[in-house]
Amino acid sequence: MIKLTNLTFAWHQQAIIEIEALHIEKGQHLFIEGPSGSGKSTLLNLLGGVLTPQQGSISILGQSLQQLSSSQKDSFRSNHIGFIFQQFNLIPYLSVLDNITLPCTFSALRKAKVLKRSESLNAEAIRLLAALGLTDPALLQRNVNQLSVGQQQRVAVARAMLGSPEIIIADEPTSALDANHRQAFIEILFEECKKEDITLIFVSHDTSLKNHFDYHISLPEINKANANLVT
Amino acid sequence: MAILSLAFKSLLNRKLTFFITLFSIAISVTLLLGVQTLKTETNSSFMKSISGTDLIIGSRGASSQLLLSSVFHIGQSTNTIQYATYQEIQKSPAVEWAVPISLGDSHQGYTVMATDLSFFDHFSYANKQHLKVHSGKIDGDMFAVVIGAEVANKLNYAIGDEVIVTHGGGEIEGHHHDNIPFYISAILSPSFTAIDQTLIISLEAMAAMHTDNHGHFGVLPGEETLATDQGHEHHDEATHQEHEHHDEVAHEEHEHHDEATHEEHEHHDEATHEGHEHHDEATHEGHEHHDEATHEGHEHHDEATHEGHEHHDEATHEGHEHHDEATHEGHEHDDQIHSEHRETQDQRVARLLKIKPEKINAIFVGLTSPQAILGMQSYINNYPKEPLSAIIPAVALQELWQFFSLAEIALNIVTVFVVLVGLLGMLSIILMSLNERRREMAILRSVGARPAHIFGLIIGEAGFVCFAGIVLGVALLYLLLAVLQAPLASYYGFYIDINMLTSNDLLILTVIQCSALLIALIPGWLIYKYSLSDGMSIKF
Repeated sequence: MIKLTNLTFAWHQQAIIEIEALHIEKGQHLFIEGPSGSGKSTLLNLLGGVLTPQQGSISILGQSLQQLSSSQKDSFRSNHIGFIFQQFNLIPYLSVLDNITLPCTFSALRKAKVLKRSESLNAEAIRLLAALGLTDPALLQRNVNQLSVGQQQRVAVARAMLGSPEIIIADEPTSALDANHRQAFIEILFEECKKEDITLIFVSHDTSLKNHFDYHISLPEINKANANLVT
Repeated sequence: MAILSLAFKSLLNRKLTFFITLFSIAISVTLLLGVQTLKTETNSSFMKSISGTDLIIGSRGASSQLLLSSVFHIGQSTNTIQYATYQEIQKSPAVEWAVPISLGDSHQGYTVMATDLSFFDHFSYANKQHLKVHSGKIDGDMFAVVIGAEVANKLNYAIGDEVIVTHGGGEIEGHHHDNIPFYISAILSPSFTAIDQTLIISLEAMAAMHTDNHGHFGVLPGEETLATDQGHEHHDEATHQEHEHHDEVAHEEHEHHDEATHEEHEHHDEATHEGHEHHDEATHEGHEHHDEATHEGHEHHDEATHEGHEHHDEATHEGHEHHDEATHEGHEHDDQIHSEHRETQDQRVARLLKIKPEKINAIFVGLTSPQAILGMQSYINNYPKEPLSAIIPAVALQELWQFFSLAEIALNIVTVFVVLVGLLGMLSIILMSLNERRREMAILRSVGARPAHIFGLIIGEAGFVCFAGIVLGVALLYLLLAVLQAPLASYYGFYIDINMLTSNDLLILTVIQCSALLIALIPGWLIYKYSLSDGMSIKF
């Protein structure tokens, strides 16, 4: 599913990522433990095809990323990967529904998938929101900045899941949430990913969360660059 | 399209900066187009100052000077064409019409132009439009004055009002020709030419004002003068009467010495008529003149067997005699005016004399065929009897306009900079927004936006702001023109025609739009770079 081989990425002559091998299976829920400075966001950008490694290969869904042009990588990302970030996931000038359906602006494939399931993009967005526990219709009228952080993160999940991409990459999605909400958020995320058979890559520095996951790896352990840096 | 809609929504999210940028561009566009409009309208109103006149003849000199003085009534004009020359040119077979123009006097800062009635038949402006009468009637009377629209408006004159002409131009202390007051016979409709600021009188009246002794007809050839009285502004009433009476008698005598030409008969008719007029008025002054008048009348009877009485019965007066009879209906009206307006002795004398001026300033000439223009021009330029020059108005106007081209260029440069400042304002506002928008860009990248999309977002935003600014600017321009058209025309005599945007304007607007897109390349390139380096990492 996702295969990293001898991956090296350096920024200004400084190696940031050096990973010999990493395999992620389909449908896996993987927790990657990564304190800040461990090359976490660089790894995510490499997976998303936004950054190009100097050496090694990344293969996602059997597609080798280095064979794609940068704009093909952008399309590939929008077709197959949903992202959830730590905070401020939403574009402030778009409505809740517009934020959720944003990926369909860039991915015809996901749009087609959505329309196969629901009659319109907005209907699917509302369905996803309901599945994520956001059923209040008044919510839709609100400016996204008026939503609570927990609500914002769930809207972000809805956006990542819209059109059922094969992979969701979540970068510290719970760090802005309090303990209760964190628990609920992770459960709902798991449930939805399981339903849609989505591979989830969850990156966090918070090791207490790794108990929820079947698989977990530690980025500093597999990233030699980081080890070199520390020692 | 999706990107444009995003750009639009993003803009609306930043309403304040958006509207500030929008207005700065709109105002600069309005200014630029306004200057262009003003330029074309000034040019066209300038070019419309005269039309249908094939040649303007003046004394030898710079063509621009002749044009300025004869058409725009600007600058000093010198009386150098002999009236005889005018008469000769008029008779030339190539000449269809010729109108003499004499300048040099003013009334409260407005030019007084002396000409004859044919001026109204032949002078045209713009698209061969003739001067139109707004109120009153163009009157052949010697002391009738036709005033331009602005003169009437600014000085609040009405038909029948008395006007005193000042010697020389400008509002400097000058000699007032108050011995020869004029009455307003007609007010012209606005033509937006120099005529609006002009008072038009007859050549004879002009000549009457400018004879020796400041226009007082005291001294006539072969007459003994009452030198002490002459030239004083305020005569004792009795002396004045006496003096004038004396003049008149002397004048009569003088004329009797001449051969009795037809023209002289006319003069006598006038005299008779005048006398009767005063008689009819039966005013105090009229009574005083009674004797004199009848005396004149008697003299007339004795000496000439003309049908002066019939004329008198019809209540005509001299002014009509040497002009077209088509205006007979106007007589009653004219007489009404005359009865309100008491003539001075000088005027009565002037009526008798009815001398043409010796010299005039310019002649407007219409030729029988356009082919004759160049030939006639060279004939005039080599006129044997006196040094003359002839100009073709359209050519001279064009030449004169070249003088303004420097100011035009300066104005253009200023407005170009204004537009540039507007666009730079837009640039700085977009640049300032970039930092706060890097988060927005990262989100867009994560959902699959390419760097090109992000770039397009910025270019689209700039393009949209500029386009909206242009549309608003054009709307503002037309609003401004619509609001200012009437006041500009009525207070400044400057008529702005509201036209569609010219192809030149459209070209300018296209250049502005393209410049905005070009300028947006700077923030576009920056955000492109950011989006490559930031990737999906959200920077705070």
